[in-house]
Amino acid sequence: MRTFIYTIVAAVTIISCTDKAAVAQDWQFEKVIDLDGINPIGIAMDGNDIFLSDGDHNRIVKVAEDGSILFEMEGFERPMHIDFGEADFEITDKVTTSLLKERALFVPEYGRDSIAVIRDHKRDYLVLQDSLDAPAAISIFKNEIAIADFYPNRVLYYNGKEWISIGKEGKELGQLYYPTDVQITKSHIYIADAYNHRAQVFDKTGKAIAIIGADLKINAATGIFVTDEEVFLTDFENGRILIFDMKYQLKQIIETNIDKPTDVYVQDGFMYITNYRKGQLIKYALKDIENEQS
Amino acid sequence: MKQITIILSIVIGLMGVSQLDAQSSKDRDQFEVQVDGLGCPFCAYGLEKKFKEFKGIKDIAIDIETGDFSFTYPAAKELTMEAVVAQVVKAGYTPNDAKITRANGTVETNKEAEKEVISEVTTSKLYVNGMCGMCKARIEKATTAVSGVASAVWDIDTKMLTVSYDHQLTSEKDIEKAAAGVGHDTNSTRATDDSYDNLHPCCKYERAN
Repeated sequence: MRTFIYTIVAAVTIISCTDKAAVAQDWQFEKVIDLDGINPIGIAMDGNDIFLSDGDHNRIVKVAEDGSILFEMEGFERPMHIDFGEADFEITDKVTTSLLKERALFVPEYGRDSIAVIRDHKRDYLVLQDSLDAPAAISIFKNEIAIADFYPNRVLYYNGKEWISIGKEGKELGQLYYPTDVQITKSHIYIADAYNHRAQVFDKTGKAIAIIGADLKINAATGIFVTDEEVFLTDFENGRILIFDMKYQLKQIIETNIDKPTDVYVQDGFMYITNYRKGQLIKYALKDIENEQS
Repeated sequence: MKQITIILSIVIGLMGVSQLDAQSSKDRDQFEVQVDGLGCPFCAYGLEKKFKEFKGIKDIAIDIETGDFSFTYPAAKELTMEAVVAQVVKAGYTPNDAKITRANGTVETNKEAEKEVISEVTTSKLYVNGMCGMCKARIEKATTAVSGVASAVWDIDTKMLTVSYDHQLTSEKDIEKAAAGVGHDTNSTRATDDSYDNLHPCCKYERAN
């Protein structure tokens, strides 16, 4: 009899869990985090630590969940979309390659045409064969690197063995018009094609395979973030975040408290959006749609 | 005695530093330019980057909200108002008021001569294609500069230009030509491809076929 009761309880639990998993979810507004004197452009996270590039004030800041500054590093020239990584690449003789295998923060400096590498409060610069003109973003994935090179209308991509140049000026598939953000995933390279007002997806040979959001009247697609399930794109002038599924179909548009967004970061069911002009972080959470109405 | 010596050394040192500062500011001209439509950081930092082509530029400050852009430059190089305004245009922006305070104290501005008095005002609404705040600045500046135009205000949402002018001095056609001349299509006048291509990336509106 006792076994029978256990079986019933277990069955009910399983059914209950199955039902819960089937509940649809969407992104719901959580809170505004005011950033005192910071105009954030890029965001990256190291565990639960939030790092922001403050372009107007030429610094990188680490902030707490309440927006207070925990640490700042000054002396950058217009730092843009930042990323953490452990890439193995050619660097100056100040730091050895093996040291670089430790996690570091990569900071594209738009005004210095360089990529700074920060580790333990020390700074070095990425040495590239090619010259940059206003690098707006960097993405690190294992030993791969991608850099959005703003004025040359291209993304430089290092596949672990060699650098290739992706895109040239234009409006067609595969062409770019002032790329401002980039992200490498396991299989693709996603680019915020800012002034073509869309995103583009490339394979790792540099072949363009998709355009995202071209019909959504985006005005300056300045930031992009990609998870296993979704693509997030900022619509700077219209104050929106557009969320697409992995077939690049629009799933959701979020607008509440979003004003001049430049970047997005998603981790553990939470989304952080940088409101550049107002100096804010906006936090959203992935929740069951039912809860939204309760 | 040792303390007095230390204090005196500090005071003399500070005086030396302030004299050096005064000397260096005497050697530099101060430039202030009001640029309309610096909407996004990429645009604003691009303007700054373009001005770094002027070797010796220092003290660059830029306020994205107001469009106020300022810097100092060695007086000996005699940087002209025309060169500054041209550099702003080369970067893809529309300069409004500009002021140079020379190291010797003289002040130069780019203010134009007073416009002619308009006796009979006609008001028209004209469609002018555009995209953003930078477009607004460019369209209004170009059309207001037409002889006989008293005022011109472009609405970013409706894309309509409300213009007041003396119909004996100018016409709707002239005003539309002025807008098209800086890259903005109107109902009756299409901008040349070159002038459209010269628009800043923010301003590349969708053209009618």
